[in-house]
Amino acid sequence: MNRREFLQCAAVMVSGMTASQLGLALSDAQRAHLATAPNYNAGKASYLSAAQRRILAAACETIIPRSDTPGAIDAGVPNFIELMVSDWFNATERAIFDAGMIDLETRIPQQYGMAFDRLTAPAQRDILEALESAASDHPWYEFGNVQRDFISDAPFICQLKELTIWGFFTSERGAKEVLRYNPMPMQFDGHLPLSPNDSTWAGVVES
Amino acid sequence: MSDTINSTQYDFDAIVVGSGISGGWAAKELTEKGLRVLVLDRGKPIRHSVDYVGEHAPSWKFPYQAKKPRELYAEEYPVQSRVTHSFNEATRHFWNNDKQNPYDDNPDKPFMWARADVVGGRSLIWGRQTYRFSPQDFQANASDGHGIPWPVDYEEMAPWYSHVEKFIGVNGRKEGLAQLPDGEFQKPMPWYALEETIGERLKKKAPDVTLTNSRVAILTEDLPGRSACHYCGPCPRGCSTGSYFSSQSSTLPAAKATGRLTVIANAVVERLIHDPATGKISDVQVIDTQTGERASYSARLFFLCASTIGSTQILMNSKSDAFPNGLANSSGALGKYMMDHALGTSSMGVFLDNMDSYYSGNRPTGLYIPRFRNLQGQDEDADFIRGYGYQTYTVRMDWSTSFNRKGFGADLKDSLRKPGQWLWVLSYFSECLPRESNRMFLSPNKVDRFGIPQVAFDFTWSDNEINMQADAGRQADRLMKAAGAVLTLPGGTDMSIPGEGIHEMGTARMGNDPAQAVLNKYNQAHDVPNLFVTDGSFMTSSSCVNPSLTYMAFTARAADYAARQLAEGLI
Ligand SMILES: Cc1cc2nc3c(=O)[nH]c(=O)nc-3n(C[C@H](O)[C@H](O)[C@H](O)COP(=O)(O)OP(=O)(O)OC[C@H]3O[C@@H](n4cnc5c(N)ncnc54)[C@H](O)[C@@H]3O)c2cc1C
Ligand code: SF4
Repeated sequence: MNRREFLQCAAVMVSGMTASQLGLALSDAQRAHLATAPNYNAGKASYLSAAQRRILAAACETIIPRSDTPGAIDAGVPNFIELMVSDWFNATERAIFDAGMIDLETRIPQQYGMAFDRLTAPAQRDILEALESAASDHPWYEFGNVQRDFISDAPFICQLKELTIWGFFTSERGAKEVLRYNPMPMQFDGHLPLSPNDSTWAGVVES
Repeated sequence: MSDTINSTQYDFDAIVVGSGISGGWAAKELTEKGLRVLVLDRGKPIRHSVDYVGEHAPSWKFPYQAKKPRELYAEEYPVQSRVTHSFNEATRHFWNNDKQNPYDDNPDKPFMWARADVVGGRSLIWGRQTYRFSPQDFQANASDGHGIPWPVDYEEMAPWYSHVEKFIGVNGRKEGLAQLPDGEFQKPMPWYALEETIGERLKKKAPDVTLTNSRVAILTEDLPGRSACHYCGPCPRGCSTGSYFSSQSSTLPAAKATGRLTVIANAVVERLIHDPATGKISDVQVIDTQTGERASYSARLFFLCASTIGSTQILMNSKSDAFPNGLANSSGALGKYMMDHALGTSSMGVFLDNMDSYYSGNRPTGLYIPRFRNLQGQDEDADFIRGYGYQTYTVRMDWSTSFNRKGFGADLKDSLRKPGQWLWVLSYFSECLPRESNRMFLSPNKVDRFGIPQVAFDFTWSDNEINMQADAGRQADRLMKAAGAVLTLPGGTDMSIPGEGIHEMGTARMGNDPAQAVLNKYNQAHDVPNLFVTDGSFMTSSSCVNPSLTYMAFTARAADYAARQLAEGLI
């Protein structure tokens, strides 16, 4: 919704109409007053080499693959992670990430004869599972250890999982096509039946 | 003499400093009583609705897809960014920039000063919990001897509470409890199925507590110009429909509608000028925060509503020959007897009930367990006086609370996308005793960018607050068991940082004795007849309930009194 439309909404409100009337009168776009900021993930990352970018994409997709709904690549997660590593990580975190990428880039061809992204999906998964079991004592995995600041010394695999999951479920496709998204529910119902296959709402996430 | 003074000799009839929760009320009441009012606020101007730029913004529109910009926060918002539930990129423009507006914090005795920096003050970012003080709260000081007695009782305040509640719109459930008087409520918000399950169990297994709706200043029924809540969720981003009470949605528009309101933003009040000849305040001196230009405005009446710390800072900085220790401070009480509620998570319980029941809509509040300790006199097993209440929250866990699980692939994706267990959280807010040693003062050596002395604090918890926190933990454990939690996670054991309760109050307390109190029972300075202070500064005790409704009720009453005194030529 553009600024003019937004102001139209505001004018309707000031004129004293109620939200319920308003909810019916307005388009979907008008009901969702979007922030003026552009989609973060639309920024073009330039941190990794082309080879590393392919590895990162394959690793993200291993964590959250496409199924009957979009996967990590569909949701732009690899680009999100690359942006986060270059803009948001501190030097400690970036060094761990860089070392993890170099490890995948150099060790895998030696062990398996080809690049990580060329391996079969089960092989890629085995490699990441091995990284996870080596890291499994790290406090990153402790129960209840969420909704906290990013743990700066978390191992590469934890960085990868945290940013993949975060990036996926806060992306537009993850929120709308894998979770359920409704910014303007209009009512509260505390007894909505839940079927076994239903997703959570794409809630309001605060890091 | 004042009855012969023509009001045109003054720039305004009344000047209100601050446009937050109390300032908005002063502006509304005084303009509606026919006075020409100037409201001054150091914060930036914002327009209701139009400038709520973060409202309804989805995560992918945020920088870093809503992971907080850590460097920026550490550099410019080290204090404000600790208010984690309300401070983020969707609300940051409402908050104070700590780097630009520092205070003199003592790292050995930290104090967390959370403040807004917009017209509307913290009414835009507050939690909207709205409770009356009880008759017992107004009696507490007199009966146990801490602090000084309140000069007002519940009976006198009840109509003012009603007056405010009807205008701001409060939803809640009447319970008929002596310790939490009912008010003028709109229909309560519905409950989660799990909350009903818990409520039934508590009725049987913990009949000494009441589980009720949080009473919140959010509409469930339309009021003129404002509409019922549409359950979008993150209220501190601002609310275009005016569904929650803020100065922006409610009191300032009402004041504006009289045609007698002037608001000047970006105007930091440096001091009030006391005229020894008349014994009254004549002018207020302000500095434009953008240009540094100084100005002064005169009026017959002055209302300080700049928040507890803000108003007391102004009084302390308004020294004169008549008041060498701070304006209106002949009692010496100014800055002392500061209080803040202690708060913390007492317990989190995991529940496996109602797993096939979900919800739609973000209910912007939780439930409440009113104070249940020391009600009929002192409980035998309590090693503290007074009490605490629990604000409770019900959360269905999701990917954001369990992304650190093991595994990969389609299974992981599927388990992350589905709801997890229910979590019920008990957070306590406890009463803080008024103690002389808990105080704020002006830094002897640090000034801000306007040359105004910075505020400093000296505040520590006493055993009473510490013992109460331990009791809140033990009782929460009992309640979680009674409620049927399959697993409970105890809350932290550290006391909150003073100030973190965001209910700072009491630095210009009211009382009948001018030798002990700064203000009289009408929030009027004992020493200066045309000066009223109606934000949390006047509080003589703190109760355990969120205080802002009480500030509003006293502000409305003080405005009524002041306008009558003015009309009768008494001030
Ligand atoms: C995150 C959060 C949640 C909260 N939740 C609740 C709740 O649920 N229930 C509750 O009762 N309370 C709650 N509070 C507390 C509540 O916000 C305050 O008690 C209330 O806002 C105080 O009202 P006030 O008018 O005194 O001050 P404010 O609302 O803070 O307004 C003061 C105004 O004065 C201005 N000002 C300050 N100094 C000067 C100066 N020198 N010159 C000019 N202007 C000045 C400021 O810019 C500001 O606009 C919460 C606070 C926060 C931050
Ligand atoms: S949840 Fe209700 S009160 Fe809160 S911002 Fe949305 S409409 Fe306003």
